[in-house]
Amino acid sequence: MSDRRSEPTEIPPLLLGEGLVKTYPDGDVRALRGVSIAVAPGEFMAITGPSGCGKSTLLHLLGGLDRPSAGEVVFRGRPLSDLDLDSYRASEVGFVFQAFHLIPTLTALENVQVPMFAAGIPVGDRAGRARRLLEEVGLSHRAGHPPRRLSIGERQRVAIARALANGPSLLLADEPTGNLDSASQREILDLLSRLRADRGVTLVIVTHSAEVAAEADREIRLRDGLVVG
Amino acid sequence: MGYLRFISRNLRGRPARTTLTALGLSVAVSAVMLLTGISWGFERSFLAIYRSRGIDLIVVRAGISDQLSSNLDASLEDELRAIPGVSQVAPSLMDAVSFEEANLVSVLTSGWEPGSLLIEGLRILEGRPLRPGDRRVVLLGRVLAMNLGKSVGEPIDIAGERFEVVGIYESASLFENGGLVMPLAELQRMMGREGQVTGFVVVAAPGVDPRELGRTIERRHQGVAAVPSGDYVKENIQLRLARAMASATTAIALVLGSIGLLNTMAMAVAERTGEIGLLRALGWRRSRIILLLMGEAGALGLLGVAGGAVLAAAGARGITMAPTSRGFIEPNLSPLVLAIGLAMGLGLTLLGGLYPAVRASRLEPTEALRHE
Ligand SMILES: Nc1ncnc2c1ncn2[C@@H]1O[C@H](COP(=O)(O)OP(=O)(O)OP(=O)(O)O)[C@@H](O)[C@H]1O
Ligand SMILES: [Mg+2]
Repeated sequence: MSDRRSEPTEIPPLLLGEGLVKTYPDGDVRALRGVSIAVAPGEFMAITGPSGCGKSTLLHLLGGLDRPSAGEVVFRGRPLSDLDLDSYRASEVGFVFQAFHLIPTLTALENVQVPMFAAGIPVGDRAGRARRLLEEVGLSHRAGHPPRRLSIGERQRVAIARALANGPSLLLADEPTGNLDSASQREILDLLSRLRADRGVTLVIVTHSAEVAAEADREIRLRDGLVVG
Repeated sequence: MGYLRFISRNLRGRPARTTLTALGLSVAVSAVMLLTGISWGFERSFLAIYRSRGIDLIVVRAGISDQLSSNLDASLEDELRAIPGVSQVAPSLMDAVSFEEANLVSVLTSGWEPGSLLIEGLRILEGRPLRPGDRRVVLLGRVLAMNLGKSVGEPIDIAGERFEVVGIYESASLFENGGLVMPLAELQRMMGREGQVTGFVVVAAPGVDPRELGRTIERRHQGVAAVPSGDYVKENIQLRLARAMASATTAIALVLGSIGLLNTMAMAVAERTGEIGLLRALGWRRSRIILLLMGEAGALGLLGVAGGAVLAAAGARGITMAPTSRGFIEPNLSPLVLAIGLAMGLGLTLLGGLYPAVRASRLEPTEALRHE
């Protein structure tokens, strides 16, 4: 592991970004210009910064949704470039998006089961497992509803249940409260910290909200593709 | 939830599109089933003329393409009978007549000799068979009698001459059921073809190879073709036309149907770019996404086949009942025809579904997720 910076603990980091650069070919956008971060197991980290500074790009690289132009993401000591990204995303990472991205033709219960296909969870176990997850996010009474019949806050809770479907060690959320009113934001924040306490899951949240950032163990500020604090 | 559930949710979640696509496929599949069924029904009915009487060989003029244009001397009968290995011979003169008032054209008219093996192959339902010396009498096939509304004892006008219906018969062949039979001499006189016949049917003696016997006959008589009945039916020009039409329709339907499916699947993929990106983000492999979308295409294909079978059955009923084709065309919707429809549905799925599915699987997850 990198010893260039002093880590707050001696525990090896769960996730490490080393000198991450991301250049988008169209328009030659340099979204990240050399970002290094370390995420400790069980940590709650907030990533903040002005619009367009590269927060989502960084989260996508950490979650194996995209590959860096230069630099390396290391998960539990193994570079992602050596891993099969599909199975990394399926079993180690849970994603939560600002726009929820629930499938409109499926019920809440079925939406939660979607990632289970990719992790090889037997068909017969999926519904029961999804039911327990909906219970965990307080939505068992909405299991049969399609997303359009759920409130905005409920939709995000279904998305969180879905992110937990395969028991990931890492929860990556891109402005999970960006579409919510302050009451719902509070609920989602409470839910996430409870999940962290109960499951020991590591949480990385991209946010514009000072309230969310204040809740985190640590805040990483980005500006123009660089870490500024 | 497994794949089937997921697929059915996706299809039922967009009912209008699913219904319209399946309907379009159904029309294509039913056209293929019907035409194939008609051409096979045709062949079966034709073959039954010979099979039901144990006829091994058809003797006609060599080099003719249409059986009605064949022309042989009636005296050939005795020479054929003398060939070793020939058990029975019967002459036959054929023509087509119309009954305009009943809207029936091209009714098969056979001139046969009373007591010949051709007449023996008919089951007389009413009245009597032909007798030696009969003049101005006809036997009507069951379906023709029904279509004309004639029964035994009634007069009937054929090509300007008055005949009497003396019997109504049933045959194993639909063609014959829709046709009529008169004494050979009467048809020869009416057509002005005295002493001539269209051809002969030959039954080989037990243990004699019909193909070999046919070659013997052809060696002895220049200008004569002696064809095994199965081959004769296969080479029949009308039948070949029907078969060619069925294949051409199949090809056209396949192209149109797969373009329809391609369009639907391409739309489904374009509309669901975000959803497909999401699946990739959740760890779905490319192959899994192809499987899901091909499953949807396949389900549409199967719906199309099922709907096509229903449409084809309804169409077959319509054709069997319609005045112009009644007693004349009987589509044969056998399991094999259904299998052809099924194969077509799967072919459509592969042709129309694969490209959009593969394209969808190539979407980058981040790119697709930005799609809102
Ligand atoms: N696929 C892409 N192709 C080209 N440019 C891109 C692409 N994705 C992001 N960018 C650009 O990269 C930069 C960083 O984008 P990113 O989405 O990471 O910013 P962000 O910090 O998440 O912004 P926001 O707070 O508005 O979500 C922006 O200038 C953006 O326009
Ligand atoms: Mg962003």
